Amino acid sequence: MGVIREGVEDVRMVARGWRWGRRPLVPRSAEPWMEPVEQTVFGTDWARRRPGRVAREVAQKGGLEPVFRSQVRTHVEGLDVLSRIQGPVIFVANHASHLDTPLILLSLPDEWRRRTAVAAAADYFFDTWWRAVGSALLFNTFPIDRRGGAMSATPGEVLADGWSLVVFPEGTRSQDGWTGKFRLGAAFLACEYGVPVVPIAHRGTFAAMPRGQNWPSPGRRRLTIRFGEPLRPEPGESPRSFAPKIRHAVSTLLDEESSTWWEARQRAASGATPDPGGPDVATWRRVWAQTKSPEPGDRRAAWRR
Amino acid sequence: MSRPGFVLEVDDRTPPLVVHEGQGFRLEEFPLGTRVIYPPESVPSVPDVEEAIREALVNPVDSEPLPSLLKPGMRLTIAFDDLSLPLPTMRAPDIRQRIIEQVLTMAADAGVDDVELIAANALHRRMTAAELKHIVGERVFRSFHPQGLLYNFDAEDRDNLAHLGTTDRGEDVEISKRAAESDLLVYVNVNLVAMDGGHKSVGIGLASYNSLRHHHNPQTMVRSHSFMDHTKSHLHHSAWRMGRLIKDHVKVFQIETTLDNRVFPSPYDFLMKREWEWSVRDQASMLAVRRGLSVAPKRLRHKMFHDIRAPYGLTGINAGEVEAVHERTIEAVHRQQLVEVQGQSDVLVMGVPYLGPYNVNSTMNPILATCMGLGYYFNSYRGQPVVRRGGAVILYHPLNEGFDQLRHPSYVDFYEEVLAESTDPAVVGAKYEQQFANDPWYIHLYRTSHAYHGVHPFYMWYWAAHAMDHVDDVIWVGADRKVASRLGFRAASTLGDALEMAADTVGASPSITYLHNPPHLIADVKV
Repeated sequence: MGVIREGVEDVRMVARGWRWGRRPLVPRSAEPWMEPVEQTVFGTDWARRRPGRVAREVAQKGGLEPVFRSQVRTHVEGLDVLSRIQGPVIFVANHASHLDTPLILLSLPDEWRRRTAVAAAADYFFDTWWRAVGSALLFNTFPIDRRGGAMSATPGEVLADGWSLVVFPEGTRSQDGWTGKFRLGAAFLACEYGVPVVPIAHRGTFAAMPRGQNWPSPGRRRLTIRFGEPLRPEPGESPRSFAPKIRHAVSTLLDEESSTWWEARQRAASGATPDPGGPDVATWRRVWAQTKSPEPGDRRAAWRR
Repeated sequence: MSRPGFVLEVDDRTPPLVVHEGQGFRLEEFPLGTRVIYPPESVPSVPDVEEAIREALVNPVDSEPLPSLLKPGMRLTIAFDDLSLPLPTMRAPDIRQRIIEQVLTMAADAGVDDVELIAANALHRRMTAAELKHIVGERVFRSFHPQGLLYNFDAEDRDNLAHLGTTDRGEDVEISKRAAESDLLVYVNVNLVAMDGGHKSVGIGLASYNSLRHHHNPQTMVRSHSFMDHTKSHLHHSAWRMGRLIKDHVKVFQIETTLDNRVFPSPYDFLMKREWEWSVRDQASMLAVRRGLSVAPKRLRHKMFHDIRAPYGLTGINAGEVEAVHERTIEAVHRQQLVEVQGQSDVLVMGVPYLGPYNVNSTMNPILATCMGLGYYFNSYRGQPVVRRGGAVILYHPLNEGFDQLRHPSYVDFYEEVLAESTDPAVVGAKYEQQFANDPWYIHLYRTSHAYHGVHPFYMWYWAAHAMDHVDDVIWVGADRKVASRLGFRAASTLGDALEMAADTVGASPSITYLHNPPHLIADVKV
């Protein structure tokens, strides 16, 4: 019996160590140095043509949405801003989980959702053909190179074609649920193409499905999402000066999420908006704070009773 | 293009890593931040071995071509490294066979009649006929062995030893009479690691105890930093002095070869790969081998490992004047084995595999395991040791293979009587070495059976003297507690326990380096 038990333990150890069924990983110090090469842009135009759109509508409404809603509860605020603007816009959100994209897409009104594309990391979502085709079809993704360098031509073309974009300027999912540094890509696109940026702040996706998890935790966790007032770059404004404004807008929305609109406005006006990067405390405390799903009782009512 | 060696830093993505432990291996999950030194991958081997040998013999370094040194009526002796090289034993045909065949072809063409072949085994055990045959090949064996012209060197055959004099430091030089009185001595070497070759070949391989005692002693070994770097090794300095004296008496034509890193054939080849690059097949092979080993009886397990024949490739061959040749050889060895490492660490972890130079077709007894871990592996550095002075060494080996009464009879007494009294190399050397070296029964077994010389276990213990002097704590993971204690060390069940035990020496969160060998590597430690 001991032999069998040891055998099972060995298999388990190998399954865990070599990540059976999951993406194999190379230790960071062993990752080969890659010459920065011009990424070949994976063509995703087909996903935005009519057959692709129809297939996506069926997949999102018939598959993604029922599954998503069966696993999580959502609470959406601030959608009225969309009634005051015309697309295309750039939706900019904090990024903590693979749930962020379906949360944003499924929170949008149908007419907006159908005209929204998602910028996705070329090295992650477009490394194999089946992952590329799957994500392009289901989420209308197109590849962007997050290793820096020149941005591929695709986002501009997508915008120019009248599609709104979802961009996560952090470039990657947060390690601990708090918001990281924003890169300039979204601001660059907004300035270059003169499109408004709609800030989005959401909470609860890290608690529901953090990095390393490929299915939401049980218990139908609650996710909240809040759309903010659109921001427009001033004429001639540089991405470098516009980017902090986007991050500030997302920070204010996050503040609003945990307090009230009025208090968040007051703090924003006095420059006292809490840093969305989180407090400078031990890592476990940062993670701990974010592993709690937002619940209705957490938030104070706008008017105290 | 083969990749160079490198230093991995264990992180959350790192799979468990292979650690050898005797006739088996385990998969160890090292603490995050542990440095793991991987040897370089095999450098390209010589495409046409026969042509490379011919080229080396015809165009030697600092010497006339071999054919012009061969004359009718001359006395030609060919000496060659014994079965302690390479490890594991090379898949047939052995490189020595291929070289000796070409040398003999040239000798036959030149009309040389008086040829003898001597295995340069010094105080190592006599090889069996089958072992000799594996090294020199069937053709050479059939032509020389029945006539008694192919034989093991006998360092206790007083009539056949020649005292060539003493060096300027008073060291006796006493080697095989036949070799010393030859018109040409051709030495065929396998330079598996950096300590082999050079003047060590003739000066040690064909020498008697009278000569060896001058450098095989605790004082010399403690000061050899390390014996894998002949420029900093007092052992080698002594051998070089002796070699220069030998050169005045006999013309030596040295042929040195270097091998690549292919030590494990299929299905064990996963042991040479970097774990995160294991394919599904490698993972399956590993699981199958581990399961096989766990159910196999001891004898079968021994056979599984000792039947391994390495598919080594030749990376270089140089022939000619000893020192000029050795310089080129060392360059080739470094090209294959050197890995740059930044700084020392508090703890050095090493897995002792099933095989060392002195237990080919035999058992790895506790003294040999110590020699392998604290001798060979610890000394596999250039510059500074991988572990800091006063640090700790953690070794993996069960230390439970017992003793081979046929090959290692003096080891049993060394373990039972000498180590029971003291484990300090200097103390045991001063008190007991002479007694074991001159014991008539051990000498009889060395000369007539297949036993290592009586003094050999002392040399193994001296091999570890530098490590014992350098570190404060030695802990064996998975070892028999009683045996470890007899050796003067401690035993732990797991790496975690070992690190906790070492905390008194190196603190609770020490820096750790794991030497991921075999295949062989030399850590080039930059401080």
